[in-house]
Amino acid sequence: MLEIRNLHVTVEGREILQGIDLTIGPGEVHAIMGPNGSGKSTLANVIAGREGYTVTAGEVLFQGKNLLEMPPEVRACEGLFLAFQYPVEIPGVANLYFLKAAVNAVRKYRGEPPVDAMDFWDLIHERMELVKMDESMLKRSVNEGFSGGEKKRNEVFQMAVLQPYFAVLDETDSGLDIDALKVVADGVNALRNAERGFLVITHYQRLLDYIVPDVVHVLVNGRIARSGSKELALELEEQGYALYNEEPGRARRAAA
Amino acid sequence: MTATAPSIADPYRQRFAEFLANRREPDSLTGLRRAAFARFESLGLPTRRQEAWRSTDLGPLQAVAWNLPTTAPVEVGSLPDLGQAAHRLVFVNGRYAPALSQGPALPDGVTVTRLSQAAASQTTLVESSLDQAPGLDRHPFAALNAAFWEDGAFVHLPRGAVLETPIHLIFVATGHDALIHPRLLAVLEDGAQATVVVEYRGQGRYLNAPVAELTIGDGAVLHYHQIQDESPQAFHLGAIGLRQGRDSQAQAHLFADGGQVTRTDLTALLDGEGAHCALDGLTLGHDSQYGDFHVRVEHAYPHGTSEQLFKSVLDGKAQAMFDGMIHVRPHAQKSDARQLSRNLLLSRQAQAHSIPRLEILADDVKCGHGSSTGFLDPDAEFYLRARGIPASAARALLVYAFANDNLNRIGLTPLRERLGQVLADRLALLDGDAR
Repeated sequence: MLEIRNLHVTVEGREILQGIDLTIGPGEVHAIMGPNGSGKSTLANVIAGREGYTVTAGEVLFQGKNLLEMPPEVRACEGLFLAFQYPVEIPGVANLYFLKAAVNAVRKYRGEPPVDAMDFWDLIHERMELVKMDESMLKRSVNEGFSGGEKKRNEVFQMAVLQPYFAVLDETDSGLDIDALKVVADGVNALRNAERGFLVITHYQRLLDYIVPDVVHVLVNGRIARSGSKELALELEEQGYALYNEEPGRARRAAA
Repeated sequence: MTATAPSIADPYRQRFAEFLANRREPDSLTGLRRAAFARFESLGLPTRRQEAWRSTDLGPLQAVAWNLPTTAPVEVGSLPDLGQAAHRLVFVNGRYAPALSQGPALPDGVTVTRLSQAAASQTTLVESSLDQAPGLDRHPFAALNAAFWEDGAFVHLPRGAVLETPIHLIFVATGHDALIHPRLLAVLEDGAQATVVVEYRGQGRYLNAPVAELTIGDGAVLHYHQIQDESPQAFHLGAIGLRQGRDSQAQAHLFADGGQVTRTDLTALLDGEGAHCALDGLTLGHDSQYGDFHVRVEHAYPHGTSEQLFKSVLDGKAQAMFDGMIHVRPHAQKSDARQLSRNLLLSRQAQAHSIPRLEILADDVKCGHGSSTGFLDPDAEFYLRARGIPASAARALLVYAFANDNLNRIGLTPLRERLGQVLADRLALLDGDAR
C-alpha cells in the first residue's frame, strides 16, 4: 500500500535521502532503524508532507496514488497518519475539539456527514481506555503541559480515533519509560489488522520487543543498507551500526 | 506640526459656540462645559510631539471639516442584541432614542437613565460626579467630550444594590463628518454590583470621542464590557476612567473590531486597600486599521491587585499599539500587578507595538510584565494539517485559540458567543460541524 521508489531528498541543498526503495503491503509492520542523522525522520516528514524538504528524484505511491503531490491534509484524509517525534503544543485548542475537527475533516473529504455526537463520545471513550488516557486530557489544550509520555500516548490516541489505513511512528518510543512504552505498544498492537500497515521508526531495538515487526530495515547515510527479519534488530543491538560504515550524523549536520 | 494644531482647534471654538446657543440646561452645567472647553484649549489637540500621543497619527482626522451631528431623523438599521434580558438605552449620534430603548423594571433605588435627564433631576449628584474620573484631565478628547456631550447614560446603584440584569448601552453614529461625544457616568455605591455593556457602532465617517466614567465604592463589583465596532471610515478616540474603592472588584473587557483610527485610554485607579481590577483587550485589525489601547493602572493603596491582558490579531497593513503603565505609589505596599501583551501577525505588513511601563515607588510589591509578537506557528499549522484539517481552517483555529482566553473571560454567554462569531467570521473559520 506504500511504495517508495528511488527517493532522493535534499534539505537546504544537502542530500539526506539517497535513493530509498521500500514497499509495505497491507497488514505489514516494517521497522526502520538507524543511527542518529541517518535520515529516519526526514523519511517520516517527507511521507507526511512537511515543508522544507525537496524531493529531487523518485516517487512515493500510497494506495496507487502519487502521495508527493498531495498537501499534508489530503494525505491525512486519504488515510495516512504520522505519529510525531515531537508532538506540537497548541495552547487554547482543547484536545477533544481538535480531535472532532480532525475526524470531521476526514469525513468531509470522504463525503460523509459530520460524526454523530453520541457515536463520537463512545469512540473517544473506547479509545481512551486503549491508551489508558485520563478523561481530563480531553479538556486540556493539545499537548500543552503534557509530559513526554502523555504526548506520545496522545499521538497513539489520535491514531486510534482517526483509524488511518497506514501509520508512520516517528521515534514514538524515545524518552519513554518501560510502562509508557508498553502502553504505546499495546495501543499500536490493538490497531494491527490485515489491512492496516505500519512504518515504525526507532533508534532502539527495545520497542520491537513489544511491536514485533515483519521486516526490519537499516537506514544508514540516507540509504537502506540492509533489510531482514526481526532478528536483524537484535543483531544491531549487539553490534551497533559500525558494520555499515556510517558517516555519522549526516542528516543532523545538514539540518543544523 | 504645532502650527497645524490651532487650525482644527479654531473650528472647535466655533462649534462650541453653536452648541451652547442651543442648550437649555442649568447654568451650573454650562459652567462645567465652559471649564472643560478651556481645558481643551490649554491642552490643544494632541500632536505626535507629545509622548502620550507619539504613536497615534491624527493626520487623517485633521483633514476633515467636522460638524455637530445632524438633527434630522436617521435610519440606524438593526441593533446588536445581548441575547438576554437587558436594560437597554440607545443613543443615535449622541442623542437618546427612546423608541429603541427598553428594559424590565429596575430594583428600588437603582437608576439607569439618560444623563441629560439625571442632570436635571439629580443635579447635585451628577454635577459632583461628572468629569471626576481618573485620567480624564490630561486627555484632550475627554475634555472635548466634557464640553460637548449632549447625552449619554447615567447609572446609579445605591449601597448594596445588586442589578442582575445587564445594562446595555448602544451608541450608534450615522456619519456626515459628525463629532459625537457620548458619555457614560456610572456610580456604584459601596457593595453594589452591576454589569454594563457598551457598544459603539456606526456607518460612514464620523469622529466618536466617548467617555465612560466608572466609580465603584468599597466592596462594589463592576463588570464592564466595551465593544467597538465602528464603521471602517470612523475615528474613535475614547477615554475610560475607573475609580475603585476598598476591596472592590472591576473587570473591563474591551473588544476593538472597527474604525479607521481608534484609540481608547483606560485609567484605573485602585483608590482603596485590596481593590482588584482585571483589564483585557482584544484588537482585530485588517486593511490599514490602526487600533490603540493606552492603559494606566494606578495602585494608590496597599494590597491592590491588577491584571492586564491585551492582545491583537492583525492582518493586511493593520497596526496595533499597546501602551501599558503600572504605577505603584509609595505607600501601596503588597501591590500585585501583572501585564501581558501578545500580538499575532497574520501578514508581513502588519505591525504591533507594545510599550510596557513600570513606575514602582513602593519597595514591597510584585509586578510583572511580558510582551510577545509573532506569526502563526508553522509547526502547529503542520500538526493540524497532518491530522486532516485544511490549511485555512488550521490557521483559523490557531488564531481562534490565540484569542480565546480573552473571550473566555466574558461572563455573559450570549455576548461571548457573539464575539466568538465575529472572530470566526473574520477568519472564515472552520466549518460549523467541526466546532
